[in-house]
Amino acid sequence: MLQILLNSIVYASEIAVIAVGISLAYSVVRFANFAHIQYAVLGGYFTYAARGLGLGFPVATAISAVLTGLVAIIVERLVFHPLRGLRPEAKMIASWGVALAFRSGVAAVFGGAARVFDVETDTYLLGDAVITSLDLAVVATTIAAMVVLQLLLYRTRIGTGLRALADNRDLAATRGIPPDRLTALMWFLAGAFAALGGTLFALETRLQPDMDLQILLPVFAAVTIGGLSSIAGAVAGACILSLAQNIAIGVDFGAVLSSRSWFLPSQFRDTIAVAAMVLVLCFRPRQLRSGGVR
Amino acid sequence: MLDFLVFAVTMIAIWSVVALSLDLQFGLCGLVNFGQILPFALGAYGPAISAAHGGSISAGLALGLAMAAVGGVLVLAPVGRLSQDYWALVSLGASEIFRLLMVNVTPIAGGQDGTAVARVSNPLAALGLALGLLLAMLLLARRIDRSPLGRLMRVLREDDLLVATLGRNPFRVQALVTVVAWLMAALAGALYAHVVGFVAPSSFSVAETFIVWTALILGGAGSLLGAVVGTAFVQFISVSTRFLAAWSGLPFDLVANLRLGIFGVVLVLVFLLRREGLVPERKVRVDAVGP
Repeated sequence: MLQILLNSIVYASEIAVIAVGISLAYSVVRFANFAHIQYAVLGGYFTYAARGLGLGFPVATAISAVLTGLVAIIVERLVFHPLRGLRPEAKMIASWGVALAFRSGVAAVFGGAARVFDVETDTYLLGDAVITSLDLAVVATTIAAMVVLQLLLYRTRIGTGLRALADNRDLAATRGIPPDRLTALMWFLAGAFAALGGTLFALETRLQPDMDLQILLPVFAAVTIGGLSSIAGAVAGACILSLAQNIAIGVDFGAVLSSRSWFLPSQFRDTIAVAAMVLVLCFRPRQLRSGGVR
Repeated sequence: MLDFLVFAVTMIAIWSVVALSLDLQFGLCGLVNFGQILPFALGAYGPAISAAHGGSISAGLALGLAMAAVGGVLVLAPVGRLSQDYWALVSLGASEIFRLLMVNVTPIAGGQDGTAVARVSNPLAALGLALGLLLAMLLLARRIDRSPLGRLMRVLREDDLLVATLGRNPFRVQALVTVVAWLMAALAGALYAHVVGFVAPSSFSVAETFIVWTALILGGAGSLLGAVVGTAFVQFISVSTRFLAAWSGLPFDLVANLRLGIFGVVLVLVFLLRREGLVPERKVRVDAVGP
């Protein structure tokens, strides 16, 4: 049981860091950005490339976050800014176009084969549960990232400006908050968090262009459960989702019902994610945490 | 060469029906279906499941159509009147779940390796069937487009509250459109299965959905001819890059990736440069009749 809890926390960390970027973007520009998933994959590859230059993990990840943030700003300038007058659906579809372009770019440059980060991990035993030093690092990084984001949004003038923009763009603009500059900053943050999350995800699994499909459903399910535009909701959504997935896969249902042991095959992870999302949509038409980043 | 041309036109006709189906949903009614490959896959898996368990061709067709109609309502039901963001996510999730189910549960229809189904061996017969289906579906879509229902769908696309104030139930219109459109795509899927003679999960990935989207947006959402023109264009790019791969000797998966990249760039460029698509939607003018 402890093992299930530990696995859930680690998986929730990876998902949450990616998911908050989608919520942040949604709260300010009001559309679900599917290219975000590709920012995460791109960030993973940037970290890998920086590692290849002989840099340490913290430096490589920081460089990757900055680069991916800049890429997100460039995409905003080239695509989303010119489309800002369109309906959210149109921007959502355009973001898929961006995602397809990025996906093919990554696959063309880095090749389709999987790559693995060379990390040495120590294993610790907690009772009968196992946790690695990598898991601990992932969770610690996530918590640190969340604290930084929280401080940035609630303790700085920039954060106040961003939240004002999310609440009421026109009002914020008339009060002297520069909407375009802050939107660019928001995209930078979203890209940087995606890169961090993508790196963590790749560390725990493997780095490959197909990674986007593994990230896509759980991340968007987490964001949807949390109500799309709320950052705290996205984190809560990631936790709920991860717990549901790990319980569904880790609990021996066979032993509960009969004497034979039977586990749900782990390929059904994504099915659980989408099922959780659909259940939440059915029974909770109102959002878990409504409103923008307040 | 001629054989290849016949096959290419057959594929264009089949995928045009899928694009038409999406046009009814998104172009006319504003439903953002990010799982458009799902009704196509359900239609193709009807024959596959039937073949895998020794059923007849007509049983397979009926099964495919039934699964598509039920699937459409099932996917739409949890979303109801929620915003289009949710509908996009749920339909995307549903299409991936179905694909993963077919990959992981081998007894249904062969799992990852797929199933062989009866193949239309004469390419010209296949071409005739595909063109016949496209013609029939075009006429049906045109009929819907010009009917009062078509006008109501356009109102719903612009403003669902307005539909409600007109005394119509927006959800019922959406459900009706979804069932009709999904049946269209399922017919295309069933024909695809019998033309190719083989059904495997890898043919129904998320990427296929966005190839259909690229075709529709490029051709012009809301215009029926646009769906066909866009599909022809996209399939032409698809086929010519295959030739390019064979001619230039570049690795096949690199070219496949670049092809997807081209579709992505085309999708973005259409939004930036020619939002109404190659064949813009016909503006409908409706005058109130009499006092």
